[in-house]
Order: sequence, then C-alpha cells, then structure tokens
Amino acid sequence: MANLKDIRDRIKSVKSIQKVTKAMKMVAAAKMRRAQENMEQARPYSSRLTEIIQNLLPDVDRGLLPLLNVREVKRVAYVVVTSDKGLAGSFNSSVLRKSQNEIDELGKENVDVFCIGKKARDHYKSRGYTIIESHVDFWSNLNFNHAIKIGNGIVSYFLNGNVDEIRVVYNQFVNVASQMVLTEQLLPLEYEADQNTVVDRLYEPSKDDIVKSLVPRHLNVQMWKYLLESYASEQAARMVAMENATTNSEDMIKDLTLEFNKARQATITTEMLEIVSGAEALKG
Amino acid sequence: MSAFTLEIVTPTQILEAEEVSYVRCPGTDGSFGIMASHREAVIGLDVGEIKITQGGKDSFYATSGGFAEITKEKVQLLVETVEKADEIDSGRAEASLTRAKGRVSGTDGSDSKRAETALFRAVNRLRVSKR
Repeated sequence: MANLKDIRDRIKSVKSIQKVTKAMKMVAAAKMRRAQENMEQARPYSSRLTEIIQNLLPDVDRGLLPLLNVREVKRVAYVVVTSDKGLAGSFNSSVLRKSQNEIDELGKENVDVFCIGKKARDHYKSRGYTIIESHVDFWSNLNFNHAIKIGNGIVSYFLNGNVDEIRVVYNQFVNVASQMVLTEQLLPLEYEADQNTVVDRLYEPSKDDIVKSLVPRHLNVQMWKYLLESYASEQAARMVAMENATTNSEDMIKDLTLEFNKARQATITTEMLEIVSGAEALKG
Repeated sequence: MSAFTLEIVTPTQILEAEEVSYVRCPGTDGSFGIMASHREAVIGLDVGEIKITQGGKDSFYATSGGFAEITKEKVQLLVETVEKADEIDSGRAEASLTRAKGRVSGTDGSDSKRAETALFRAVNRLRVSKR
C-alpha cells in the first residue's frame, strides 16, 4: 500500500493537470469558433471563382497557361499541412502517416516536400526527406497574406518545372468531432467542364486574359482554404483531446481518492490496534 | 434613377451595399463604370480605386485587383483585398510605400516584378486614403 503522502501528492498533481487541460479546452473552443467563421467567410469568394473558371475553361486552350499544363508525372511535390503545437490527439500523426505512406510509395527520392507547421518540418527533417520550404510560426496570427506567400512559393516551384504535380495532404474540417485527412491535387488544375452553364456574357479584356489572372488567384484562395480547414481541425481535435483528458483525470482523481481513504483507514486501524494492545499489555 | 445591389466579396469578408446607383472600377483596360441593368459580364480588375455612389453619396475603396461579375440580379466584385478610404492607416501605408520603393531599387529579375506590384499597391492605398 502506497503511503498517504505519496497519494496526496499525486492527487494534487492530477488536479493541477486537470486545470490546464480544462483551460486548453476552452481556448481551443474559442479559437475553433473563430476559425469556423473565417471558413464561412471565405466560402462565397472561392465558390464564385470556381464557378467562373468552370464557365470559362471549356472555351480556353489548356496550353494557354503553364499552370494548366498536364505533363508526364516524373516528380511530385507534397504539401503537408500540420500544426506547430501538439496535444491535439491524432491530428498531426494521421496527416504525417498518410503523407509518408504516399511518399514512400512513390519513392522518397522522387518526392519534394513542402512543410507547413513545425510538426511536419520536424518529422520530415529528421527522416532525411527533401524539404524545399518550411513555413512555421504563423498559425497564431494566420491571415490571407500567409496563404499568398506559401502559394507563391509552391506555384513558382511548379512553374520552374521542378515537379510535374503538386498534392496537398491536410485535415478537412467535417465537424467538431471528426476531421478527415485528405490528399488533393493542387496543380495542374483539374476541372469538370460543365457546358450547360455557359451563358451569353461579356468578357473583358478577353477570356484568355481573365483565365490568366483568375487561375493564380484561385490557387491563393485554395491555399487559404487548406490553411483554414487545417486550423479549424487542429482546434477541434485539441478541444476533443483536452475534453477526454479532463474526463480521464476526473476518473483518476476518483480512484486516487478511494485509494487514499483506504490507506487512511488502514493507518487508523493499525494505530488503534497498537493503542489497544499497548493498553492491554500495561494491565498485565 | 434605378439602383442595384453590390457585393464586394473577398476571401476574408463580404461587404454588401443595397440601392447603389453607380460603381466605378479600375478595369485592366482602364477605369469603367457600372449602372443598373448593365449587360452580363466578367471584367478583370486591376490595382486601383473603387468608387461607389449610394443615395447621392460617394465612398471610396482601395483594392488590389480581382474581377467584377455582373449578372441580372446583382453586381459582385471578387477582389483579394478591399479597404475603405477612411479606414486606411496612412502612416502604415506610407511605411509600406517606403519599403516597396527600397525593394524595387534593390532587386532584379522576377523579384523586381513582385516588388513593382507591391509598389503599385502601396501608392494606390496612399492615394485612396487621401480621399
């Protein structure tokens, strides 16, 4: 039986850990709400852009823009979106597992990696993968400019012909309780051409010019979407993880308290026995 | 004068304006105006100033470019950034102008093009902020 002081100390430390997990849960919940708002605000912009592109692409030659070029795939770049901080359940590990499986299937030497978030950087750095760019320490004040900056780096890497395809692995926000790890192809752009939606419209300066400036903007907003989805997922995952941790610590405190009381009673019993037997001995 | 609904849609916010009678936008081929019952169109926008006339009053916005999508129901400006003239911090705008100037003279190649667009944006914001 552990002694009373040990158990008391453990209860105390579990309680203080519980305070931390509770606080982290609250913070994650607040951040998640904000991230969700951001996602909702970004949606109309990206859906309008996508619609315009879909209207236009049937009329435009794919050779017009290098970003639309479908080349024979020899080398692939993976953009892996993780967080900077841990303590978010399986949020990071599931992205890393999926991306590494896919990369290893293609062969480590045929793949370049763009790391978003410290977790991805540390993971791929220590395993000796070819990292082109790492973006860390921006999640806490995430804004659209980060998406532009990250997007530009990736796009120019594709344009320079270093890779023939770019894929993004990220967590999609489904709801608070579940996130889905997805792999999406970012470049070259793929669209289902929907012939029915083409209406009589004026395009200025010209369809080609519109497409030329639309596509890079579309990529920026796509990148922004990935960042927002991932950020919201991270907060949701952390919230659930911390919720579980709080419940677990509750159970632990219960068990420890029980153990503590048992030990306390045992001590009292022993002491009483000693006193009684001492008194008996004195009587002689 | 008949009016229409204008929406300025960016990745981070949506500004809505009812009963707008006139919008002037910085098109890639030069500035152009939209009034009610304009024909349907998609028009590219450049860095510049948007002027909105609403109930006889004008308001000015700085934008870094995008598209105007005109449909029968409404006019949507899909732009990457938009800032109302009186909300632009002219001190900050001035600082970014100096920074952009320094970058333009200090770089070459593909970077210089990026620096130049940054300079355009900075000049534009400063100009609009003085409205």
